[in-house]
Amino acid sequence: MNLALLILCGFAVLLLILLIGVLRDPRRLENSDGGSSISEEPARRHVTYFPQVRQSMAAMAAEDLAFLSAKGSRRLIRRVRKERQRIALTYLTCLRDDFMKLWRLARVIASLSPQVAVAQEIARFRLGMVFILRYEMVRLEFLFGFSPLPELSSLSETVSRLALRLETAMKDVGERAALAAKLGSSLDGRDMNTP
Amino acid sequence: MGAMALSIKSIWACSIAAQLIVLFLLISKENFRKVPFFSTYVCLNLGQAGSVLVLLIFPWMSSQSFTTYAWVSECVTLLAQALATTEILAIVLRPYAGIRGLGWRVLAVTSSFVIVVAVLVGRGHTALEGWFELNRGYHLTFATALILCLLLIRYYSIRVPSAYKMILAGFCLNSCVEVLVNTVIQLLFHKGFAALATTWQFLTTLSFVVVLGIWVVALRKPFPADERQMASLLDSDYQRLSPEINEQLRLLNEKLLRLWKLEARSH
Repeated sequence: MNLALLILCGFAVLLLILLIGVLRDPRRLENSDGGSSISEEPARRHVTYFPQVRQSMAAMAAEDLAFLSAKGSRRLIRRVRKERQRIALTYLTCLRDDFMKLWRLARVIASLSPQVAVAQEIARFRLGMVFILRYEMVRLEFLFGFSPLPELSSLSETVSRLALRLETAMKDVGERAALAAKLGSSLDGRDMNTP
Repeated sequence: MGAMALSIKSIWACSIAAQLIVLFLLISKENFRKVPFFSTYVCLNLGQAGSVLVLLIFPWMSSQSFTTYAWVSECVTLLAQALATTEILAIVLRPYAGIRGLGWRVLAVTSSFVIVVAVLVGRGHTALEGWFELNRGYHLTFATALILCLLLIRYYSIRVPSAYKMILAGFCLNSCVEVLVNTVIQLLFHKGFAALATTWQFLTTLSFVVVLGIWVVALRKPFPADERQMASLLDSDYQRLSPEINEQLRLLNEKLLRLWKLEARSH
């Protein structure tokens, strides 16, 4: 029974920690997880640069490195590896920024929606968690010198799919809003013409 | 119900003074119009503290009746606390009907779960222990529900005016401390409640005085007018999405639901 009471104590402390976390300034977090607002949504996402990044990574494949090690100095090989790592990490960070922007965009849509479905919200939350987990795994792999192209590719696909869906959805909202406005103005016009 | 320790008298005096300041601020800044349940809660608390103090000074009740009165009046104030919190959350989530609905559903499930856990953990053999466990169960459920609500609000980037945030934080802080103190007291119950009554009273009243201090800061200015919805829309890129297209958003939501279900299956 004492164990149960100790768990209760621990739970109360956890609640206090969560309270402190929840009360922190959200703007600080916003700056760290994407760096920009939805209004800065880029016309072309970083995801679209994946083929170029893939090409540059493939260009530096094992045989190329072998060639370099045979012809060039060790310093050069190290530099090339570091450059490769830097490109991949930068791209990965950009990818995360894209995802975070889109994730936030989806939450804004939900928050403005008069009805929110729990299943949908949980699914999106899960997608976000899966992304974050994958992102960290891929980032660690890069940091330790591996180049997990298949993982990066799958990550890009997740972002691309989400981006495509949200873009379609937003386009749809825009079209419907425009249609509603057009319908409203034409009805107004008809009213005016009515004797 | 005999003589009170000086420390308890002092902390009670501080508590009553702070509650009077809170009430004064509520009236002088006309905030009581916006949060009538919160104002009622403050009045009830003040009434409870005053009546208990009178009963302590003029002890015409038996000890058992006094204890029962104190706990029953506590139940009334706790009910008022729940209503006051619901009122503030309703104000905060007023423009967000969807999130409000989601919040209530999540809260209903979580609160039921926490109540079951609190009942399972409870083992009160005496009436006093029973009151303690009831009190702790309530505060545990309340704090969990409130934290969940605040997490939900944070997740959806809903802006909460700092005054409301401070009031909610105060309620939550008070409940967490109550759970901690009550549990620690129960862990040490074998020493007998009389030995720990002073410590329990002092700690719980002290935490409430701290909360009242937070509320004084929160209430020093009138509450913001209901322009939060406008501010929120201005801050986002969806300012063009006026309330007229909310219906369109509902349809979009349904579409997204289908898409997300597909996504959930694919992962």
